[in-house]
Amino acid sequence: MAKRGKLEIIKDLLIIVNDSHGRIKTTPLLRQTNLSTTRFKEYYQELINKGLIKEKNNDGKVVMITDKGIKFLEKYSTIVNFIKEFDL
Amino acid sequence: MPIMTGRAMMGNIMVNGMMNEGLSLEIIYSFVIILASLMIYYGTKELYELSGHKGIKYFRQAFLYFALAYFFRSSIKFALRYFNVMAVFDIDPRSINSIIGQTTLFLYIYLSTMAIFYLLLSVKYKQWKNESVMFLQTLAVIVGIISVIYNNPLSHLVINLGLLVVVVGVVILSKSGKKNNLQIIYILLLLFWVLNVLDVMIPGFFRTFQLIIYLASSGIFMTMLYRVLRNTGGK
Repeated sequence: MAKRGKLEIIKDLLIIVNDSHGRIKTTPLLRQTNLSTTRFKEYYQELINKGLIKEKNNDGKVVMITDKGIKFLEKYSTIVNFIKEFDL
Repeated sequence: MPIMTGRAMMGNIMVNGMMNEGLSLEIIYSFVIILASLMIYYGTKELYELSGHKGIKYFRQAFLYFALAYFFRSSIKFALRYFNVMAVFDIDPRSINSIIGQTTLFLYIYLSTMAIFYLLLSVKYKQWKNESVMFLQTLAVIVGIISVIYNNPLSHLVINLGLLVVVVGVVILSKSGKKNNLQIIYILLLLFWVLNVLDVMIPGFFRTFQLIIYLASSGIFMTMLYRVLRNTGGK
């Protein structure tokens, strides 16, 4: 299997969070992303800092996608095509 | 008050007409380049804000710097016409105008060199270390200072052609030798950058080719804008 790029990992993570409809906790999220704990923590923190996901306390901490996160998923193919087009 | 003959008046009208024509050309040229560059910068804002991608960041910065550089370029051109001189160095060195002229010249050279370096960084940032931004900033400042200190057309020609050769070499060798239209556009952009710098630094450099070079230069920026709009969904 080819190594995923950073943007692809972010997209995969956001898809999992989005599909869970705000019911996923960090441990099952880590399992589903196929990342090491260290890398998962890095990506998770980055997504929080960028405002793509947010944490909510409902019977324990759950992860939810933000409007910006949904926008990222909508624009993902545009971003990837742009990077390819300009060799960035 | 001296009385003008009909022939002298006609001559005056023709000279003024040519001056106004040249000024209109400068205004349209600067407007097109600045507008295209700013449209590229703002057109890619959302993609950068969502992705935080370094390549997109440097690409955007290149066009922001191009917009600023062309603003200062047009300021220099207007100042030269206003003071009726051929080059910034011809402005009376004892006057405040000379300091303003040289500061504007420094900003133009620094910003346009940095624009090219950011374009280079956008395709090479993965291979280069983080410190390379600081190194390129320092190099651009040095090029700017040299341009202000030395009033020698040959030194400007050598520096800018040297930069052109290095940058074009890096662009050609980048991305594992992959050849595409983009490389050609980048190389043309670099070539017209050098021609624009030499036009400001060396009086009468363009001469009769000015209109052709302005059209070609604008065409390159419009091509970049078209490609950006096509790929950002702006079209």
